Amino acid sequence: MIEVRDLKVRYGGRLVADVPELDVGAGECVAIVGESGSGKSTTLLTLLGLTPDAEISGHVRVCGVDVLTASPRALREIRGARAALVMQSPQAALSPATRLGVLMRRALRLHGRDGSEQAMARAVAEVLLDPEILRRYPHEISGGQAQRFAIALAVALGAEAILADEPTSALDVTVQAEVIGVLRRLRRERGLALLMVSHDLALVSTIADRVLVMKDGAVVESGPAATVLAEPAHPYTRELLEALP
Amino acid sequence: MTLLRAERVTLGYGGRPVVHDVSLGVTEGGVGLIGESGSGKTTLARAFLGLLTPMSGNIYYGDQTLKKANLRAFRRDVQPVFQAEALDPRMRVGRSIAEALPRAARARVGELLEQVGLDPALAARRPHELSGGQRQRVVIARALAVGPRLLILDEPTSALDVTVQARILDLLASLETERLLITHNLAVVERLCRTSHVLFAGRVVESGPTARLLANPAHPYTRALRDAVPKLGGAPPEARGRTEAVPAATGCPFRLRCPLAVAACEQAPAPRDLGGAGGTGGMEGRRVACHRAEDVLSA
Amino acid sequence: MTDVTPLGRRLPRLPDGFAALGAVLIVAVVLAAVLAPWLAPYPPDEPRPLERLLPPSGAHWFGTDQVGRDVLTRILYGGRTSLLIAGAVLGVSAVAGVALGVVAGYAGGRVRDVIMRVTDVFLAFPALLLSLALAVVLQPGVNTVILAIAVTWWPWYARLAASVAASVATRPYVDAARCLGVPAPLIILRHVLPNSLTPVLVQLSLDVGGVILTSAALSYLGLGAQEPVAEWGLMVQQGQTLFSTNWWVVTFPGLAILVTAFAFNVLGEGLRNALDPRRAVR
Repeated sequence: MIEVRDLKVRYGGRLVADVPELDVGAGECVAIVGESGSGKSTTLLTLLGLTPDAEISGHVRVCGVDVLTASPRALREIRGARAALVMQSPQAALSPATRLGVLMRRALRLHGRDGSEQAMARAVAEVLLDPEILRRYPHEISGGQAQRFAIALAVALGAEAILADEPTSALDVTVQAEVIGVLRRLRRERGLALLMVSHDLALVSTIADRVLVMKDGAVVESGPAATVLAEPAHPYTRELLEALP
Repeated sequence: MTLLRAERVTLGYGGRPVVHDVSLGVTEGGVGLIGESGSGKTTLARAFLGLLTPMSGNIYYGDQTLKKANLRAFRRDVQPVFQAEALDPRMRVGRSIAEALPRAARARVGELLEQVGLDPALAARRPHELSGGQRQRVVIARALAVGPRLLILDEPTSALDVTVQARILDLLASLETERLLITHNLAVVERLCRTSHVLFAGRVVESGPTARLLANPAHPYTRALRDAVPKLGGAPPEARGRTEAVPAATGCPFRLRCPLAVAACEQAPAPRDLGGAGGTGGMEGRRVACHRAEDVLSA
Repeated sequence: MTDVTPLGRRLPRLPDGFAALGAVLIVAVVLAAVLAPWLAPYPPDEPRPLERLLPPSGAHWFGTDQVGRDVLTRILYGGRTSLLIAGAVLGVSAVAGVALGVVAGYAGGRVRDVIMRVTDVFLAFPALLLSLALAVVLQPGVNTVILAIAVTWWPWYARLAASVAASVATRPYVDAARCLGVPAPLIILRHVLPNSLTPVLVQLSLDVGGVILTSAALSYLGLGAQEPVAEWGLMVQQGQTLFSTNWWVVTFPGLAILVTAFAFNVLGEGLRNALDPRRAVR
């Protein structure tokens, strides 16, 4: 679903992300872990062609499309429908004066999907939201609801992969548990590929199959989550683990 | 006697209460106020700092209510440590720290910076020229400048990277002041507070020694919170009940979210001591406001 | 998602080059006004009946007016008057408005209510109308223009400063200062005021053009600067009947107003974008 080889992202000549290899297959969950400035978010955004000012080299294939050489139109189709970006606070990305149902219908129609009431109700029910939410405005819903709505939209658009940038770090832990539960179920039932950027090692250890640890733009360690977190090979990974309260 | 305590305090803005009838004191060994967004924990912290006047009830500083107390002494004794963003963006951090110091004591700025593990030369910088961890240390240094006996810490580490967080916690644990810690992070409370109070929808739903309270919660909300925290290599966090249900206006506020709610929960549960009066059998000091606490404990 | 949900909808913006152009024009206008005595080819207020209404030429680049004064010279000197008026009006408005505004914003409650009601009273009058009334009651002249416009202008600054200060007052660093026992006047001076100034600066540069236009309007109505003082609005007013026959008498002072107002406006717009990219504070 996602295939990255020798990706190097530079801003003004400065290397901010260097990822030799990253693969996410259908139904897999891979996590990029690191602290601020590690290049983890840049990597994620680059996969969706969202770093327009960067100098990028290497190969990036997302849902079969070569992102670095794709036309703007092909990129839009990838971003809009097949590989969805879920951000830390999705509410900021929801137009404040539009009801969620209207937003969703527009998005579905734009990509030629079924925008009927029933289809939308099914989509939000799948993330455990009451279909009544479609009549609300973005400011009338909580952060956890907004995050699940964003996921519902991605699923209704037929997303095959979800790229999530700290999807739960702005949420309360009880709400985080709910969002993570939804993501896990979609993975299992729909074979969704999940690439997640997070600073929370404990959270990552509970859901990721594989982990990449980044520091200062470089991948310092990668491998199966269980191995990396149980027997960290790199001192930085050990430092991160020891810092856990 | 405790330095600072709330007695039956109700707090709100514009006549609408957000904290209801809370009584608690800052006891030795650190006190934690655990709550998620909207629980009223920051409002309570503001009242403890004298920044918000209670709608009813009183905050006691020693044996005086805050209204009557010597405010100069109170300001010296009780200091806040807010998040790292609590520095004036236009002011050099040295000046921020020195703000409350008499002119003669300005030289202590370097000393204070060293005390929180920073290079005294950083005094000439502005906040945006420092890292998040350094800014948080400056915030702590400013609070320490007046020699407080009690620090009120409001989410002191939640905006920081984990490795930085760990070092700030070390620093806070090493300080000799008493502390009242407000946070949503259970691990931080475990580290810094001997006693904890769990807040839900502006009410204290459970209190007790932190370690026992988290090991064996008596309130379904405390249990839901604890179970939602991901553990390294553990099972994925579990959601119990529907988190989006709003707090109930009558009866137990948690009942609409509670997997154990029964008809009795439509009557608000009064806080009560566990294990009988005075507490026995490992239940010393534990209080809970739940009709079904025994079922939660035995589950 | 990115395609459907407007990620930070932006209003159309002028390119940055415009702000720089504005700054260059402003420097030019200010220099021209300051250096008028040296730059001007003729004395500003010496009628030469024999040289009335000469069209633009090598000797008189912008022509001469109805009493034979050089239009270019009058424009250079007029800039001094117009900029003086703008500077004085905005200086008074900003100082008075911001002082009251930050106090209102920081104090909140009843203090804020009282101060805001007073500003509301001033705001209830249409600006030009109040200026007109004042200008009629008082002796017409530059000082009257300054007073008249300032009276209607300061409440906007009070409002702006109050709303910004109210939001600054809720910042944790203000709470921290209160907890340290810093007295309220010092908190306002040290923390609230400096952190409330950015939008005020932007508003000031946006307003220069507006004040010049208002003072021109008052002069145009005969209530502002009086002969023989050179002032752009007055020049337009006195030349208006000549527009069809001697266009230069009106056109050049009109252009001076336009260019100056434009320059300050684009600079203000540029400042707003540069200092406040999210436009959060207004």
